[in-house]
Amino acid sequence: MLFRQVVFYALLVGVLSGLALTVVQSFQVVPIILAAEEFEGAVVEAEATVIPALQSAGHHAATEEEVWAPANGWERTAFTMLSNSLTAMAFALILMAAMLASFSLKAGEKSLKAWWYGLAWGVAGYVAFWLAPAIGLPPEIPLQATAPLEHRQLWWVFAVICTVGGLAGLAFGQTPWRWIYPVFLIVPHLVGAPHPEGLMFPDQVPVVAAELEKLAQQFIGATAIANGILWLVIGVTAAWSVKRIVVALKAESSPGTGMEVPSV
Amino acid sequence: MQSQIASATQPAKQSLALTRPLQLVGVALLGVIILYGAGFVNIAAVHNAAHDTRHSQGFPCH
Repeated sequence: MLFRQVVFYALLVGVLSGLALTVVQSFQVVPIILAAEEFEGAVVEAEATVIPALQSAGHHAATEEEVWAPANGWERTAFTMLSNSLTAMAFALILMAAMLASFSLKAGEKSLKAWWYGLAWGVAGYVAFWLAPAIGLPPEIPLQATAPLEHRQLWWVFAVICTVGGLAGLAFGQTPWRWIYPVFLIVPHLVGAPHPEGLMFPDQVPVVAAELEKLAQQFIGATAIANGILWLVIGVTAAWSVKRIVVALKAESSPGTGMEVPSV
Repeated sequence: MQSQIASATQPAKQSLALTRPLQLVGVALLGVIILYGAGFVNIAAVHNAAHDTRHSQGFPCH
C-alpha cells in the first residue's frame, strides 16, 4: 500500500535528518539560545528581588517555572532531537506526497532521473518552509519582543502556502498563466509579517540589549545554515525513498492499471 | 465471456486509480498534522519540549 510505504520511508528520512540537524544545531544554534537564556535568568532574579508581582507578567520565564520542561543537558537535547525528527518527518511526508503527485505531470515524471532531483526538491522545501517565512519573521532568540503569537503563526502559514503555490506553478504551471506565479511568491511580503512596535529587547538595559541584538543577528545566520543542511538531507533522502517506492509500485501494478508509474 | 471479465475488473481498476491520489492526500495531511503538533500547538509542556526546534526552524514561538 502506497500510504504505508511513504510513511515508513518518511519515518526513516525524519530520524536521519533530525539526527543530522541536532548535531549541526548543537554546535552553532543551541549555544546562542542558551546564551540568550542566561540573560533571561538575570531578568527573573532582578524582578523577583524588586517586585515579585512582575514575575507573572514576564511570559516565558514565569510559565516555565510552573510547567514541566526538559532539564538542561541530555534531556533537553533528547527532546530537541525528538521534535527535530518529528518536524523533519512531517516535511518528508509533505515533500514525498508532492514528488509522487508530480508524476502525473510530464515535467515531474521526466526529472526523476536527473542527478539534481533530490537537491531541487530540497531547495524548494528550504525556500517554502524556511526562507520565505524567515524573510518576514526571522528566527528569534528568547527575550525578543514579538507580535502576538497567533498573528505570527497565521502569517507563517500564509507565507508557506503562497510560496508553495508559487514554486509549484513555476515548476509545473501552464505557460499562459506563468506570469502569475512570481506574484504568489511576493504577496506575503507585500502584506507584511506582524511586528511589534518599539525596541527589539524592551525589557533590557541598553548594554544587554546591544549584546542580545548581536546574538539575534548571529542566530539568523546559524539557523540559515542549519536549516539548509536539514533540507539538503531531507531532499536527497526523500528522492532516494521515492525512487524505491516507484520501483515497488512498478512491480506490484500491471501495465494500464491505476496511476501512471514512471520508469526509473 | 470476454466482456464479462472486462466489466468485472473495471471497478477494481478505477478504485486503484482513485485510491492512490487519495493516499497521497492522506500522506500530506499526516505531515501537516505532525507539523502542527511539533511546531504550533500552544500547550506549555509541548512548547517547552520542542522549544529549541521551534526557535531554530523559524516557527513562531512564545
